[in-house]
Amino acid sequence: MQSKRISQAIAFTLFKLMSYAVIVILVLILGFIISRGIGVINWEFLTAAPEEGMTKGGIFPAIVGTFYLIIGSSLFSFPIGIMSGIYMNEYATDNKLASFIRIMTNNLSGVPSVVFGLFGMALFVNTLGFGDSILAGSLTLGLLSLPLVIRTTEESLKAIDNSFREGSLALGATKLQTIQKVVLPMAFPNIITGLILSIGRVSGETAPILFTVAAYFLPKLPNSIFDQVMALPYHLYVISTSGTDIESSRAMAYGTAFVLISIILIINILASVLRNYFAKKVKMN
Amino acid sequence: MLTIDAKNVDFYYSEFHALKNINLEVEKNKVVALIGPSGCGKSTFLRLLNRMNDLIDGTRMTGSVLIEGKDIYAPGIRVDELRKEVGMVFQKPNPFPKSIFENVAYGLRVNGISDKNFIEERVVQSIKSAALWDEVKDKLNKSAFALSGGQQQRLCIARTLAISPKVVLMDEPASALDPISTAKIEELIYELKKDYTIMIVTHNMQQASRVSDKTAYFYLGEMIEYDDTIKIFTNPKELSTQNYITGRFG
Ligand SMILES: Nc1ncnc2c1ncn2[C@@H]1O[C@H](COP(=O)(O)OP(=O)(O)O)[C@@H](O)[C@H]1O
Ligand SMILES: [Mg+2]
Repeated sequence: MQSKRISQAIAFTLFKLMSYAVIVILVLILGFIISRGIGVINWEFLTAAPEEGMTKGGIFPAIVGTFYLIIGSSLFSFPIGIMSGIYMNEYATDNKLASFIRIMTNNLSGVPSVVFGLFGMALFVNTLGFGDSILAGSLTLGLLSLPLVIRTTEESLKAIDNSFREGSLALGATKLQTIQKVVLPMAFPNIITGLILSIGRVSGETAPILFTVAAYFLPKLPNSIFDQVMALPYHLYVISTSGTDIESSRAMAYGTAFVLISIILIINILASVLRNYFAKKVKMN
Repeated sequence: MLTIDAKNVDFYYSEFHALKNINLEVEKNKVVALIGPSGCGKSTFLRLLNRMNDLIDGTRMTGSVLIEGKDIYAPGIRVDELRKEVGMVFQKPNPFPKSIFENVAYGLRVNGISDKNFIEERVVQSIKSAALWDEVKDKLNKSAFALSGGQQQRLCIARTLAISPKVVLMDEPASALDPISTAKIEELIYELKKDYTIMIVTHNMQQASRVSDKTAYFYLGEMIEYDDTIKIFTNPKELSTQNYITGRFG
């Protein structure tokens, strides 16, 4: 009896300590970036182009570029990913094609992102002739996030109890109506969380944009989807490793990291807010 | 004309022979109870009548099922049309995460009805028929999830009635409910019999004898006996039936 209680207490303490450790690590990383980066954050930094070998000025083109890449890759990966997720969970539960897609997506999500970059360069930049462009970068990033989008959609749909589908079908609803009016609204809070998290992933990736879109230094904004852009993660890489004067652009690097982390943090907060909002809404109407 | 007429029905889950040569006829506005030990095929049979088993991969049926003279397994039959005629209430209440009103309106909307007045009238009438009106009339726009289990089940019955089916199938509709809710459902079945033909699966012998006109006893995929409920419960022909209803097994 006594020893059971003790091992119980030890296990509990251990779990608690570990989760505290995680928090500490997270706070350390954030604190480090914030304390070093916050000094350079001001209006100019957020709204001006880089100047003087990227040791001065701001990162506005990189923010805009990242923003475009998020939109572009989402336009590509969301519709395709959501529709294949729906197909796999709702239509092809037991067939060979679905399990083949499932195996492929699982493998795809394990492929290093630099490989996506290389593939994107070969296919979009060269073969299809898009050149280094927002289009090529978006498609490459979209490919990268596709497995995540498919998987979240599938998992979210799987979590919906079959009794709701049967209830709808038993009332004479078609399968499509059932999916549209019952299943998707219920799965929506979870799907949207997954989508937003995939945006977080996309906004932080460097390797896939390296050979497909990212400009080393391009102080003006793009005019079309065939233009190159700067992007935050690549900009951070550039000014940390190969700027004209690495030491004096250090502060800019931390500032850029700070902005990037903030964006991802905001995206994550947005995800949980939206999730709660839609979860409530689904229950209410 | 018979409302339900199952002829020589055999049913398989892949290799498993779940129903064996079932022949069962039901007249209009009767209540038929299906009884028998767990796993004997009651739900399987019920789900054949609105082709719910179509949703399960690897199933196979032979024989025929006629609803009001129409072979529901004939080629060209639209399953969604069939399910409007043959409604189903499930064991576990499964209202949609929508308002009480929208739950009942759902079946109408998916069947292409958009006349607001008609929908409203039909929703109110269905909720009344399901003996739920007094409890929900002030909160039709509240979530159906806020209702108790018993209320949810009556809401599911209202939802089924709203599309005016000819047959209502109920698979142990009260098994997840408390005695008071169960009594309400039973009363309701008695009322509904005037307008619908009902087939109900139940594990509760009292319930079967109280609500049904006829009772079918299933055992290991076979229909052992099918007769007037009074006969089944007072003077069954088969020993197996007698053993089951007197609680000697099952
Ligand atoms: N989806 C299924 N796949 C395979 N076998 C099933 C499935 N559903 C039911 N069965 C089997 O068919 C038999 C009859 O099941 P069921 O009709 O649910 O019985 P009851 O409703 O009388 O308890 C059982 O042996 C059960 O294991
Ligand atoms: Mg059953």
